[in-house]
Amino acid sequence: MSTKHVLSTTVNGEPYEVLVEPFCSLLDMLRDTLQLTGTKKGCDEGDCGACTVIIDNKTVTACMILALDVQDKAITTVEGLAQDRELHAVQAAFVEHGGVQCGFCTPGLIMSGVGLLRENPNPTEADVRFAIGGNLCRCTGYSRVVKAVLAAAEHTRG
Amino acid sequence: MNRFEYREARTLDEAVETLSQEDGGRLVAGATDVLIRWRQGAWKPRYVLNIKRIPGLDEVQYSPAEGLRLGAMVKVRTLEQHPLIRQHYPALTQAAAAFAGVQIRNLATVGGNVCNASPAGDTLPALLAYDAVCHLAGPGGARVLPLADFFRGPSQTALQPAELLVELRLPPPLPGTGALYIKHSPRSTMDIATAGVASVVSLAGEVCQQVRIVLGALAPTVIRVPDAEALLTGHAPDAERLQQAAQMAMAAARPIDDIRSTAAHRRAIVRPLVQRTLYYAVQMAQGTALSFDTQRGLAVEAVF
Amino acid sequence: MSANTNTSKNLGKSYPRIDAADKVSGRIQYASDIYLPGMLMCKVLKSPKVHARIVRIDTSRAEQLPGVRAIITGKDVPDAYFGNGAVHDKRILARDKVRYMGEPIAAVAAVDEITAHEALELIDVTYTDLPAVTDPLDAMRPDAPLVHDNLPSYRGFAEGMGGNICTTLSNDRGDVDAAFAQADHIFEDTFRSQGINQGYLEAMACVANVDPSGRIHVWTSTQAPYQIRATLATVVDCPLSRLRIIPMEMGGGFGAKLRLCVEAYPVLLSMRTGKPVKLIATREETFTLSGFRLPTIVYLKTGVMQDGKIVAREAISIFDMGAHLGAGVQSGVSHTLGPYNIPNFRMRSYAVYTNKIWAGSYRASGVADVTFAVESHADIVARKLGMDPWEFRKRNAFQKGDLAIQGGTIPTNGLHETMDAIKTHMALPRKSEAGTGIGLAMCQWRSGSGPSTASVSIQEDGTVSLLTGSVDITGTDTVFAQIAAETLGIEVSQVVVAKRDTDLAPFTGPSGGSRITYSQGKAVQMATEAAKAQLVVLAAGLLDAQPQMLTCADGGVHVTDDPDKRVSLAQLARHSVATSGPIIGTASLSAMPFAPIFSTQAAEVKVDRETGNVRILRFAQAQDVGTAINPMAIEGQIDGGVVQGIGRAMSEEVVIQDGEILNPSLTTYLMPMAADVPTIENILVEVPSEDGPFGARAVAEPPGFGPPAAIANAIEDAVGVRLKTLPLSADKVLQALRGEAVAAANIDPELLQRLRR
Repeated sequence: MSTKHVLSTTVNGEPYEVLVEPFCSLLDMLRDTLQLTGTKKGCDEGDCGACTVIIDNKTVTACMILALDVQDKAITTVEGLAQDRELHAVQAAFVEHGGVQCGFCTPGLIMSGVGLLRENPNPTEADVRFAIGGNLCRCTGYSRVVKAVLAAAEHTRG
Repeated sequence: MNRFEYREARTLDEAVETLSQEDGGRLVAGATDVLIRWRQGAWKPRYVLNIKRIPGLDEVQYSPAEGLRLGAMVKVRTLEQHPLIRQHYPALTQAAAAFAGVQIRNLATVGGNVCNASPAGDTLPALLAYDAVCHLAGPGGARVLPLADFFRGPSQTALQPAELLVELRLPPPLPGTGALYIKHSPRSTMDIATAGVASVVSLAGEVCQQVRIVLGALAPTVIRVPDAEALLTGHAPDAERLQQAAQMAMAAARPIDDIRSTAAHRRAIVRPLVQRTLYYAVQMAQGTALSFDTQRGLAVEAVF
Repeated sequence: MSANTNTSKNLGKSYPRIDAADKVSGRIQYASDIYLPGMLMCKVLKSPKVHARIVRIDTSRAEQLPGVRAIITGKDVPDAYFGNGAVHDKRILARDKVRYMGEPIAAVAAVDEITAHEALELIDVTYTDLPAVTDPLDAMRPDAPLVHDNLPSYRGFAEGMGGNICTTLSNDRGDVDAAFAQADHIFEDTFRSQGINQGYLEAMACVANVDPSGRIHVWTSTQAPYQIRATLATVVDCPLSRLRIIPMEMGGGFGAKLRLCVEAYPVLLSMRTGKPVKLIATREETFTLSGFRLPTIVYLKTGVMQDGKIVAREAISIFDMGAHLGAGVQSGVSHTLGPYNIPNFRMRSYAVYTNKIWAGSYRASGVADVTFAVESHADIVARKLGMDPWEFRKRNAFQKGDLAIQGGTIPTNGLHETMDAIKTHMALPRKSEAGTGIGLAMCQWRSGSGPSTASVSIQEDGTVSLLTGSVDITGTDTVFAQIAAETLGIEVSQVVVAKRDTDLAPFTGPSGGSRITYSQGKAVQMATEAAKAQLVVLAAGLLDAQPQMLTCADGGVHVTDDPDKRVSLAQLARHSVATSGPIIGTASLSAMPFAPIFSTQAAEVKVDRETGNVRILRFAQAQDVGTAINPMAIEGQIDGGVVQGIGRAMSEEVVIQDGEILNPSLTTYLMPMAADVPTIENILVEVPSEDGPFGARAVAEPPGFGPPAAIANAIEDAVGVRLKTLPLSADKVLQALRGEAVAAANIDPELLQRLRR
């Protein structure tokens, strides 16, 4: 048996206090403890990006972080992007431009897109491809995903 | 996959003390390597020690006189984006740009990459090429070790029990210095290097004042090629000399067959990788500005 | 734009996928997102042995671990065999023997995953090693160890099976030997393709729950709910009707989830414990618990006249099948001609048992391997004849009316249009700058058939509820809504496509083999037509007109020549409730006529002569899609297929050594990421099919067939070296450039002679 610890963390603006085991990953905590299942587990070894979330404005793979390592930190998941029931520009662009097929990579890809635009509001196609270079997609071939992120960038620049 | 405990240290001393007194512990920096090995069953720590809350371990400091100080917890992403690192140590930036994907770069630390001591670690050739020095802290106090002496073999370092890497210090670059890291691997992101080369060239007038050529994933540790460096030092870096140096570097490589590639292929690409990294390092040393995009493209072989 | 899409409100329109909003917000549920009270977690113990007899399994230590609720082994489950195909050669849990590393031995249900994992480590199994055979050519030798020593006792055992051969197929036409004798030139080449994993991002996942009445509810990631149900009924030994399969949103399958995967373990454990049981496969288990494509060898011999006309083709294909019959051997007798009219041929295709996990399905299994051979060979032959590769293909490509390989003739199709489109798009023939080159490949497949049902009901407000049993993978629900809306003259937003399970919707075939738009979509069209007919009859009464004088459009029915005389669908629906009864249109079909799919692809590459690196500069495809009901969805499908093909061409390979998979991980099994591929250039050619809904053809599978040959051909064009094995990795390119021998591909001539029988 190992000791459970109290974890205080904020997810999508909501404060939580939960008990977690030391070896519990952030991904498993989000999904199994908080039932925020939008963040997906594709490989559990940091290779596919399906579990991408944002912490301190940085995109990270939640399977590679221990839950206890986000003590007192604020996390954004895909469930936290829409404002007042209106989709985030990146989400809306994925819908409009056909960037979604099976949808399993979609939350992670969208988080990577959001993370990119926060740092670089005017990315080139190459910038987009490298920014999402840690997100595996097997359905779309990436063409329409790239198109969606570029469209979201243009829309956001207004 | 065992059930491990969790500890946290708030100071360096606390970290050293915990590691000394409680055995079976493993440092967790970014957690990337640790979690992977733990899930595979390769590592079964009794506890993990979080050192992220120790102040100062993630700082970047640069001065023209002292050079660069990288706290062990500095993220690889910072190596990629920090303007002073881009300006003065571009091979580190290129290596970081070629490292996994953005998400992992936001988690992985330069100290973690060094202490993991994989023969293929992306930041290692550039760090060695920039003459990095390791600053360690342990039960016996602080000590200093050149990076070349830090690596003992694949996944083996000179760290003593309960000792931590605290900081890496890189001397200030000479004026007229250029550098390029090229990573040879099947994809442009996410791969472990099949082979990697970092070359740093400093020119004084038309002549090479200092040259560093470092091979990665081509031997049990990253290695310099001193005789190829000597061939260039004191001479103008003309095309023929660069070719000779590249040819020499092939002999220094001790590659293996593994899941990623064959020893024969790895040996065969040493020459072009060394020749090209030298060529572009010279270009940059001569004042040609290469955009970050171009540097990244060269580093991941998207451009050739 | 075709005649069908020009003026239509619903066809040719790129409606966003109707489930896209749920997906981008993370709300849509996959099987692993189901959490039920009291749920237990399941893990499977897998054999560490390649081929061994099981002497003893001792679960006593594991049973005593706190938190373990149940453990099952082979003796705890019904003594049943099942199969991926005709031969029933598989068990859910090994009994006396294990035939591959990874074969399931036991399954555990525990309070959480780490406890289940610890329990696995406490199960003691004693084995006696048996000699293993892992190379299919070795397995074909008469003295080879037998993978199935009781093969003749299996249900489905038939002619052409024996030893380690699990399937033998032939297809002959004309007199191939005479034709070879008369040919001006004969060319022979052998090609080898590698083990390929389907790479679906969502690993297999399933939740099973037995309710107090004994009904078993199964939420699972599957392409084939009805087929899963039938197999489960066999392996669990319960009536079909006791099972309810709820196909959850599926995060990719590509064939891997066409058959029973992991569902039996949660089902059996839920039956034992009375609790819900969940299993989520790890990424490693997508290599060890579910079959993927195994290596293939294809030998081709072609007789051709000086003017480029192909007169004879011989093809011998050997498919490593692994330890159980899987998919792919059919392609050795159906696709080894390519899209070429060849009057004389002899084809042989063999599936061979080896001690590895079975060769699972992946997008028209085997066709990609065969296409690599056929389209590489086409370029080799063309070049040796001194002909332009495009011209050579044009000379031989099918025309409508030519004999089809499976019998019958080739119907209306756009093959030549796709060839012409690529020629124009890529400005062929073109001399490229040094180190760059262009290569072509042509892909062919057929629009899938199979049982399909649909029912359409008109709601009181004139909107439509549409029910089909098919799993939506490629956006077909959106296409169904477009088909229904087009038929009835309403808006797509007025069609609700119901979420289904096997209790709710009638039997339908699986979502695979490119059949949903073509066959299931046809059923949707027919069901909507049936509902429309009822509406028109009702309207005729109300408007006092003959049915044939009425038009269904804009949400109502009006007199064609007098549009003001109109009644809305809502009015008709309400009226129907009191008169004829609520309007339901249904359709059921079992097969659809042959409708080919053709495409022509072009790859432009740059080759680095010093490192062997190959960079794909451009990739273009022209495909005949029949009628592009939803162009955006179609292009998305094509983009995805092409990039899967690029992965197969450049970097993917499952490396198996002596029966052990060396790279069951995304760290070492390398699929293309965004920075590895260009934006795919798509040309949609529309030559409507004769029978598909509004002339649609299937789309999704062919784009993945061509890239390996297109790129291999482009490499030859660029730097003059020819690779005949996949992937086209830098080390092979460099070896070839340096004139060093690349791994030999040819089959021993003596074996070849035996195989051509």
